[in-house]
Amino acid sequence: MTTEAASDTLSIGREIRLARRRRRLTFVRRLLAHPSFLVGFVILVLFTLTALLADVIAPYAPTELNYRFILAPPSKEFWFGTDAYGRDVLSRIIYGTRVSLRIGIYVVVMTGILGTLLGTLASYVKWLDGLIMRSLDGLMAFPGVLLAIALAAALGPSETNAIIALTVTFTPRTARIVRASVIVVQGMQFIEAAYAAGAGHARIIFRYILANALSPLIVQLTFVFAVSIVAEAILSFLGVGPPPPAPSLGNIIADGRSNIQEAWWIAVFPGLVIAVAVLGLNLMGDGLRDILDPRHSSARDRP
Amino acid sequence: MKTHLKMASKLRSLGVIGVFALAAVFSPLPSLAQVKGGEIVIVQGSNPPSLDGMSTSSQASRNINMNIYETLYGFSEEIKPIPILAEGVDISDDGLTYVFTLRKGVLFHNGDEMNAGDVKASLERYRVVGATKNLLAPVKDIEITGDYEVTFHMVENTPTFLEAFSSPRAPAVIIPEEDGATEAGKNSFVGTGPYKFVEYVPDDHVTIERFDDYTADTRSEGIDGFGGKKTAWLDRVIFRIIPEPGAQVAALEAGEVQILEQIPMPAARRLESSPDINLFKNARWAFTTFIFNTSVSPSDNVKFREAVQVGLNMEEIMAISSEGLYTLNHRWQYEGTTYDPGMIGAEYYNQADTERAKALLAEAGYDGEEFSILTDSNIPQHGRSAVVIAEQLKGMGINAVINQVDWPTALNVRMQDEGWNGWTLQMGIEPYLGPVGLIATLASPARPHFVKPDAELDALYQELIKGATVEARQETFKKIQAHLYEIFAIIKVGDSGLMHAARSSVKGFIPFRFPRVYDIWLEG
Amino acid sequence: MIRFLIYRLLSAIPVLFVVTLVTFLIMWLVPGDISAEIGGIDATAADLQAIRERLGLDQPLWERALRWYGDLFRGDLGHSYTLNRSVIDAVLERLPVTLSLAGLALLLATIIGMLLGILASVRHNTWMDQGAMVTALVGLSIPDFWFGIVMIILFGVWLGWLPTGGFVPLAEDPVGWARSMVLPAFTLAITQMGVIARMTRSAMLDVLGQDYIRTARAKGMRARTVIFRHALRNAMIPIITVVGVISGVLLSGAVVIETVFSLPGVGRLIIGAIQRRDFPIIQGGLLITACVFVFVNILVDMAYVWFDPRGRDDD
Repeated sequence: MTTEAASDTLSIGREIRLARRRRRLTFVRRLLAHPSFLVGFVILVLFTLTALLADVIAPYAPTELNYRFILAPPSKEFWFGTDAYGRDVLSRIIYGTRVSLRIGIYVVVMTGILGTLLGTLASYVKWLDGLIMRSLDGLMAFPGVLLAIALAAALGPSETNAIIALTVTFTPRTARIVRASVIVVQGMQFIEAAYAAGAGHARIIFRYILANALSPLIVQLTFVFAVSIVAEAILSFLGVGPPPPAPSLGNIIADGRSNIQEAWWIAVFPGLVIAVAVLGLNLMGDGLRDILDPRHSSARDRP
Repeated sequence: MKTHLKMASKLRSLGVIGVFALAAVFSPLPSLAQVKGGEIVIVQGSNPPSLDGMSTSSQASRNINMNIYETLYGFSEEIKPIPILAEGVDISDDGLTYVFTLRKGVLFHNGDEMNAGDVKASLERYRVVGATKNLLAPVKDIEITGDYEVTFHMVENTPTFLEAFSSPRAPAVIIPEEDGATEAGKNSFVGTGPYKFVEYVPDDHVTIERFDDYTADTRSEGIDGFGGKKTAWLDRVIFRIIPEPGAQVAALEAGEVQILEQIPMPAARRLESSPDINLFKNARWAFTTFIFNTSVSPSDNVKFREAVQVGLNMEEIMAISSEGLYTLNHRWQYEGTTYDPGMIGAEYYNQADTERAKALLAEAGYDGEEFSILTDSNIPQHGRSAVVIAEQLKGMGINAVINQVDWPTALNVRMQDEGWNGWTLQMGIEPYLGPVGLIATLASPARPHFVKPDAELDALYQELIKGATVEARQETFKKIQAHLYEIFAIIKVGDSGLMHAARSSVKGFIPFRFPRVYDIWLEG
Repeated sequence: MIRFLIYRLLSAIPVLFVVTLVTFLIMWLVPGDISAEIGGIDATAADLQAIRERLGLDQPLWERALRWYGDLFRGDLGHSYTLNRSVIDAVLERLPVTLSLAGLALLLATIIGMLLGILASVRHNTWMDQGAMVTALVGLSIPDFWFGIVMIILFGVWLGWLPTGGFVPLAEDPVGWARSMVLPAFTLAITQMGVIARMTRSAMLDVLGQDYIRTARAKGMRARTVIFRHALRNAMIPIITVVGVISGVLLSGAVVIETVFSLPGVGRLIIGAIQRRDFPIIQGGLLITACVFVFVNILVDMAYVWFDPRGRDDD
């Protein structure tokens, strides 16, 4: 290799790196300029901070009970009132965001990994395609809630099992999305070019195909996050969510639902928190989709 | 008594019209106010597992079944065995033969008259499918000794047999002979009661309607416990299944239903002064208990268990788990009943003595081992008392964790010798049945709730069921009470009540172990 | 069309087979069985064993599975342990409730959602657009069961306009049926209404931007004609796709709404069966639900073919 050629390669490499960084910068800038993404992002940051700083900002311990303050309405001492155990609802909600966030993150990560794995395998390995897709269709043919309840009943109610149940429920759709976008990308010219240039399978899958199938996956996972938070509440409502005494947004609602007329604050506040968190995630998802998926954003720009 | 006090305070708030209506409620004599006809909807939280009266011991079934079926003997309002379908019983001096004579002219819902053949067939079926079939274990055989007479030949003298035979737990109901060979749950739901079965739509409702040819027992003036003279005023009664307590209250307030078997206490307090709704307190509904697994560490150590006993604040547990409808009571009987053992054990009860608990834990050599509390999500009181107990145990330095599972899993786990340390249980019907029914769950031959049999308690249980007189049994029960506060294998937390609610148009309702839908009527 | 239908029906078989396998897996995992429920709390170990033997629960799972598949081929889904009826009867008597609920919710979600979406696209970038989209987004974000509880208190208790729960069969009393269905169907529809509104808007914006629509407008065609005859027709494909996905989501969501509003639907039947360990109902109920789901999907696919302009020639 001559020095000229080497320096050429170097400079091309630098060019590419710079271009990539520029792209990344404009991407972040475009995201932050997108109003709904920004609002959603702020909500999520606040939600995360609440969860992380729960020990600092919660006025009481979340399981501290006192039978002299049962079902106390919102007041200066208890901003969001107390529940049937005399526990401070605000503190429980603050700590409850931890559970929701943890469930959301784990489900997103596991769904992301499993979905990508299965989706890529199905699109890449022809003889596995039918097997994987029919199995996923089978899982999708269950009403999601029933599948999650059945799994939670089988495994026992706990946070981990809720995560497993929700991952099993959400993976099929995610895998399908990955598979569909991988198939689209596979047919594109630059992939054929890469093969012609002698790139290996692994390199092609990770470097080109997955990288290009990432956008729809990210958008999907934002919604999986949102749905997980609601699903935790549903599981708790049906008695198979994270068990007591640790608070989750769902089991606070479940605790308060039979006293909704006498002590509306127990069920109403965590419900609102869930709604706001989900709203934030949906807004972020919208923003991501607008920017990552040009077809949609072009639709928006038209008169 | 408490109910009457409650009613007195209601009387003041209801004014003149209310006074007349409520006077009718407690009048022992039939009054002119009673109206025939109409339909009421009564709500309970769960499906009846079975409408086959004898094959289930579930409360949700009993609520409905005891309006459809009747037994030979049953408990009176004062919890004494009284004849219902039987005319009476002659017990031989050696206690080895019981001759039951039957009431004549009693009709089944299918129109046939009840006779000795039906009784024998029913009780033989009970031996096979009865949910508490052990209660017929002392009976060697049942002989038909007349058209309206059956004779029990006993294995040995069992003085407490008639009480056990009258038990409503899984009642030994009389059904037509044709149903005698049917499997559990597969009979035709035909009984002799004032109401007959119409339809069951699971998760929605059970409908029963008045049995017009009902043969009332004219030996008494009115209803008495599970027996007495029953009159069905209403045309139809619908038991609706609404799982959500909040939805139950909403339906009652909207006037869509007339009676709630149980109303949450916060709702009861809110509706206390409502002119449309009457509340009925059933103060002695259940014992709240906390059971140890005496076969695994750390709960196998009696010092450890004593520490928990003296450390717990019963008032707090009861106030929260019963939503405020409770009586503090250390006795393993309701206060003032026949077998009330007095103040034995009171010095260990509701002490909330964390310091003494810590000292006892040190003595027990407790080293922070995990203490797993088994509870379930189906019965709210179970879960609530587990949460409060766990929090208090943590305050004593015990590493308590809650294992909340669903009811079938809980029953499965507690049948295992390992995997749990404590278990929260509401004992509803057992304390009502008196000392034998209660202690039977703690002594051999059954598997004791606390797992490892206690030889002394087993001996005391035998002494109790063989005790010839009430006085002898009372003495035995005192020993049992004292012994339970020596082994600390099961903790009595308190007595919890149940609040019923009804629209004020419903007249004549008197709270009991099940909602008696006969002898109640709708205001004209 | 027929060939397509047959192909779709045949390809459903492996899917349903997977469903049955997963159900067996769940039953294998689930702790406890129905013997404790039947025997009661003080049943001895021997009592429980006797009940298990009577129900065949003492046999290994693979044997039970083989017998179950054998019965299935004869069209027999077995009997419930507790409900005193066959699994097929138990599910079929509940199906009208769930289908009424999911169907009405689909109708509400589609109508309201499409109206919101059309409004937003036609009045693009105005306050109406924003208002419609905020409404859709809020609907999308509210936990529906929680919304249902609030609705019961508001319309059932405080205002007293509608029943607080329960089901009235359509054949018995059509007005009562409608009244009993309004709140649950609306509650169930609220989330999906948001989804459809957003999808409709973006599909409509796509179409409205295309040349032939501009031409039609330029030619002075009435706005309503343009929107409903041309634009909407072409925006239907993505909307139908979403409606198809939603039908499944609604069947699933109905499970929770049935519990909130005390409706005796299939969802509650199966939840109850899971809690009681009534295995034949779990097994058969999930299979029948899956069949309904697959069938609905086939219907959606056929609607898809129907609306696809490439499949028709009158455009």
